[in-house]
Amino acid sequence: MPEQIRRILGKHGRSPDELIPILQDVQAAFGYIGEESVKAISRYLRISENQIYGVSSFYAQFRFTEPGRHGIKVCLGTACHVRGGGTLLDMLERGLDIHCGETTEDKRYDLDRVACLGCCALSPVVQIDRDIYSRMTVNKLTELLKNYE
Amino acid sequence: MTKEKKVSITIDNRKVEAKAKTTILQAARDNNIDIPSLCALEHLPSYGACRLCVVEVDGIRGFPTSCTTPVEDGMVIRTDTAEVRTLRQEVLKLLLSEHPASCLFCEEQTDCKNFQGTIRKVGVTTGCRYCPNDDMCELQEVTKKVGLTETSYPVYYRNFPVEKEDPFYDRDYNLCLLCGRCVRVCNDVRLNGTLSFKQRGKMTTIGPAFGRSHLEAGCEFCGACVAVCPTGALSAKASKWSGKPDEVVESTCPYCPIGCTLDLKVKAGEVVDVSADYDSPTEHGLICVKGRFAIPEYVLSPDRLARPTILKPEGYDFLPWEEALDEAAAKLKAAGPKNTFVVVSPQLSNEDLFVAQRFAREVIGTEAILSSVIFDLGSDLRSFVDLVVMSEQIDTIEETKGILTIGLDTTYGFTPLGIAVKKAAKKGAILVTVSEHECNLDMLSEEAFQSDAAKWPEFMDGIMKSMSGNGTRKSKAAAPLFKKGDRNVVIIGPDAVFSGKRKEIFERVLAMRDNLGWKVIVCHPYTNLMGMLAMGALPGLKPGGLKSDGVLKLKDPAGVVDLKQNRKVGYFIGEAPSPEMPKCEYLIYENALPAPSGFDPNLILPAGLFTESPGTTISSEGKILTFNRASAPFAESKPDWWIISGIAARMKKGALKYSSLAAIQSEIKKSIPGFSGKERRVPRKKVVMEGKAAAAGNPFGPCRDAAAPAAFRGVPLHDHVAGMKAIEERRHK
Amino acid sequence: MREYGLLGSNILDSDFSFEIKIKEGAGAFVCGEETALIGSIEGKRGMPRSRPPFPAIAGLFGSPTIINNVETLGTLPNILRNGPDWYTRFGKEGNRGTKTFSLVGKIRRPGLIEVQLGTTLREIIFDIGGGVQKPFKAIQTGGPSGGCLSEEFLDLTVDYESLASAGSIMGSGGLIVMDEDTCIVDLAKYFLDFTQKESCGKCVPCRVGTKHILEILQRITEGEGSPDDLLALRTLGDTIKKGALCGLGQTAPNPVLTTLRYFRNEYLEHIKDHTCRATVCKSLIEYRVIKEKCTGCQSCVRVCPTGAITGPRSEPHNLDASKCIKCRSCYEICRYDAIAGDAIVIRTAERQS
Repeated sequence: MPEQIRRILGKHGRSPDELIPILQDVQAAFGYIGEESVKAISRYLRISENQIYGVSSFYAQFRFTEPGRHGIKVCLGTACHVRGGGTLLDMLERGLDIHCGETTEDKRYDLDRVACLGCCALSPVVQIDRDIYSRMTVNKLTELLKNYE
Repeated sequence: MTKEKKVSITIDNRKVEAKAKTTILQAARDNNIDIPSLCALEHLPSYGACRLCVVEVDGIRGFPTSCTTPVEDGMVIRTDTAEVRTLRQEVLKLLLSEHPASCLFCEEQTDCKNFQGTIRKVGVTTGCRYCPNDDMCELQEVTKKVGLTETSYPVYYRNFPVEKEDPFYDRDYNLCLLCGRCVRVCNDVRLNGTLSFKQRGKMTTIGPAFGRSHLEAGCEFCGACVAVCPTGALSAKASKWSGKPDEVVESTCPYCPIGCTLDLKVKAGEVVDVSADYDSPTEHGLICVKGRFAIPEYVLSPDRLARPTILKPEGYDFLPWEEALDEAAAKLKAAGPKNTFVVVSPQLSNEDLFVAQRFAREVIGTEAILSSVIFDLGSDLRSFVDLVVMSEQIDTIEETKGILTIGLDTTYGFTPLGIAVKKAAKKGAILVTVSEHECNLDMLSEEAFQSDAAKWPEFMDGIMKSMSGNGTRKSKAAAPLFKKGDRNVVIIGPDAVFSGKRKEIFERVLAMRDNLGWKVIVCHPYTNLMGMLAMGALPGLKPGGLKSDGVLKLKDPAGVVDLKQNRKVGYFIGEAPSPEMPKCEYLIYENALPAPSGFDPNLILPAGLFTESPGTTISSEGKILTFNRASAPFAESKPDWWIISGIAARMKKGALKYSSLAAIQSEIKKSIPGFSGKERRVPRKKVVMEGKAAAAGNPFGPCRDAAAPAAFRGVPLHDHVAGMKAIEERRHK
Repeated sequence: MREYGLLGSNILDSDFSFEIKIKEGAGAFVCGEETALIGSIEGKRGMPRSRPPFPAIAGLFGSPTIINNVETLGTLPNILRNGPDWYTRFGKEGNRGTKTFSLVGKIRRPGLIEVQLGTTLREIIFDIGGGVQKPFKAIQTGGPSGGCLSEEFLDLTVDYESLASAGSIMGSGGLIVMDEDTCIVDLAKYFLDFTQKESCGKCVPCRVGTKHILEILQRITEGEGSPDDLLALRTLGDTIKKGALCGLGQTAPNPVLTTLRYFRNEYLEHIKDHTCRATVCKSLIEYRVIKEKCTGCQSCVRVCPTGAITGPRSEPHNLDASKCIKCRSCYEICRYDAIAGDAIVIRTAERQS
């Protein structure tokens, strides 16, 4: 078992209710939930790998493939939707040539939609990596993306 | 006897009594009110997903599901109001919109019979007539019950590819209703955990992690999911198109000593499928892949021996039974007692073994009653029999505090035992596993010791030392894992029984049992070893050895018979020749399937199998279990006891004149305790070795390979059961 | 707090012990439902469970459990400090105290507000919120589980019963204001899309029923609707409300049922006239340049993401409808009212300065 996974597990107790916190730590460390991690968690918590996969695939937070270098999250909460968030997503899908939930071929961007970033008064909102951009328009977005290699 | 608490409830204006701890659904069914449901099933925890069993209850808002709501004294329930009926119909319409059900409401559904021969070959299920579950489908039943005659919603065919790569059963998730029965039975009843819901909402699917095959994901192929599936989504490959069985015959599995109860499904006089019986006290329905899926293809194999056959210079030729029996008798008589040996299979029934040993002793006049047990175990036979005879019952595992397994993986065998171990571990028992590779019990273990078998005795020494308080364990734990005075059990698996360190392992287990109070269970493939001991089917052991008093006096077979001497005639009953056994010039082969290649028997006598020839067997727990007839004997095959008696009659006038099974059984009752009386259990006692001491080591060369494939009557299952090939490959990873 | 001895065993050497453990959710709206929340904390899939047994009897890890929103717990210190009489001064009979709301959408002053229960919608929107720029159309309360209320409800008091009787809910306090630029059918579709994605998938009415509703709304917004659809929507909505296992399913039809009730005409326009009066539903609108008004300033040419608008400077531009993705960028940048978005009958879109 790789040392990094061992250290993460060591911070948690061995009961099944530690599963989601452990998965969150694993995703924070590796960017995704890999097969090796699931195997180690299975042995540690004494739950089958299939059950672990069943739990993690239920939640929107977890992904099983390596992420791109930059994560673009378009907010499509009600306020952002009403103020044209959908058009932003549309334009990004076209411009990057991927569907929502996919990664560009050069692994530069992930594209995702999220239900609400909680900045409803500043809609429409887009998050790139850890930066939040408000009152977005199609043109502003095009410019912004150039800053993310 | 305590009376079950009852409550009084009102269902549809009827005042009835219900058991205190049941659901409304169960209480209704107990009172002959059938509320339709799909996701609820006896033996499974309730789920409440299909929403078909909704009812109205005074004091509860909305429409609660009767499968999840417990009854309370004074409850008023209405199961059949107009609103409830409408809701059920609407819910069913939604269900059907995800399930290809074109035949359900089609006018031609009965008249299309003219085309039905080809319909099923289409390969895609678009309606009932194309579905393997037609006429046996719970969805069809529910549609009738709910009274639905049409639906206007568009059908969404989800377009999943049918999953066929795994052995034994296919999965067409286009038919899946997501009722979750399979997930519940796999996780909560079988404690296996291969199946899980994945994703959520309309994207929900069922299966293993990362899209692995079921084989990779650790599926036991126990078929429990197939049995509980209400639609045709899961279907067994071999019995897919057999249709509704004509009858179900209860019998016993012959593949291992646990002796699980099996319900044999018969169609057109043939055993086409097998199902588990969850109410069986032996294994509680937790059967393994062999009993579940490896019987019909074995019994119905195209290679079944049909007629007596003799080897002539030009090749094999058929001959009638009379001539065949004459030939056998003549050859055996001519060779004489010192130049013949009889080989019996440990998987024969009690009756067959009884008649076989009488034949060897009284008709031939020899003690050379050989079997694979003798050659496989060699000088370790005494300790082996000692451990086997005094084995604990499986049900006692749940109460143990400490469990040590050696060389055991219960994925493809001994599943009732494996599940009992898992249950105990989940309840807090300390589990330590010892094996060469990863095994399925590792996940729940406190420690999984993986190493070559050579290191196992040393590991066991460490455990024993730590229990007596002296010395430290090899690992980090300061405190001993197993406490003296606790109820501890050590389970010896087949990988230990057939390892090079068997002698040392047995020594230590005996010490643990006799000095440290451990209970012992041995897992081995010799189905009716207890029967062999009871019937006296070993050299120097007379029938009735398992008497209720004293000890079992076992003679070392090597001391009674020269096991290395080749002889003129060998008579193999239900067994195939193997390299360790003595050679013979004339080989009489009595079996149901051909011997593995390399042996050309001189005389072939086709025998019936346990589905055709009734009889009894004794399980590892000492219970006397029955094989019931489910189908007629194949072609000209006969029961083993009939063949043996036939040869006997021609060798010694008046000998072994058994005209029926009952005649044999009444004789057995007279001489062997446990067979008469209500208990149906043979007594078990300490084993001592009598006579000449056994030579050290195994005189028969290298012991049997632990990786030998599962076999029945000397014939490997995978030679005739397609799916077992994949299983055997996986076992050897 | 732990460092200062304010949390844990024997706080400040008293015989009072108290533990707090924080667990992050992992991204599932359905986990707002109490039994799904319990499932998530237990490390399982967040799927609701049938009740009885209720969490107060057997909840988290099978033990008796009380579940409250953070907002509820947040009001407790004030009540304990200032007394119940202070708290019950606010609000009205049966709905005491205040509530926080997120007032957003087409409103001049969007943001978080806290008002007494019983305040009218009119006061919230036009007084506190500063009113709307374009004509008011609707207000959505309670998020995806709530309903859309039309102009006639502006004097409705914001309290649990009033909202419920109008077909909506209070929910967690979302108030989205909409004007004529919001298509109500598209909004209903949007909410159903959300509910579909967040449905846990356990029970048939929610998992399958919302799929059908969404499919019907999809067709309607694409101009493929039929009058039968309205009845189908009502029947489906009714079935899901009655048959679903948890609150997510039971309230999922609310956006559809309320918009059908209060904005029926807009549905009919989509179905019968193939018109989207808010010019939102892309299949029902078409953008074109009004040549008489176009000055050829090229502002739209520069912003068009697909290059659908072409034309040299100082000459009326051309809009190639086949390339147009209807992103509205040209419409918003044009200073000369020269771009029109429409349904089959072409009309000029109005712009407010």
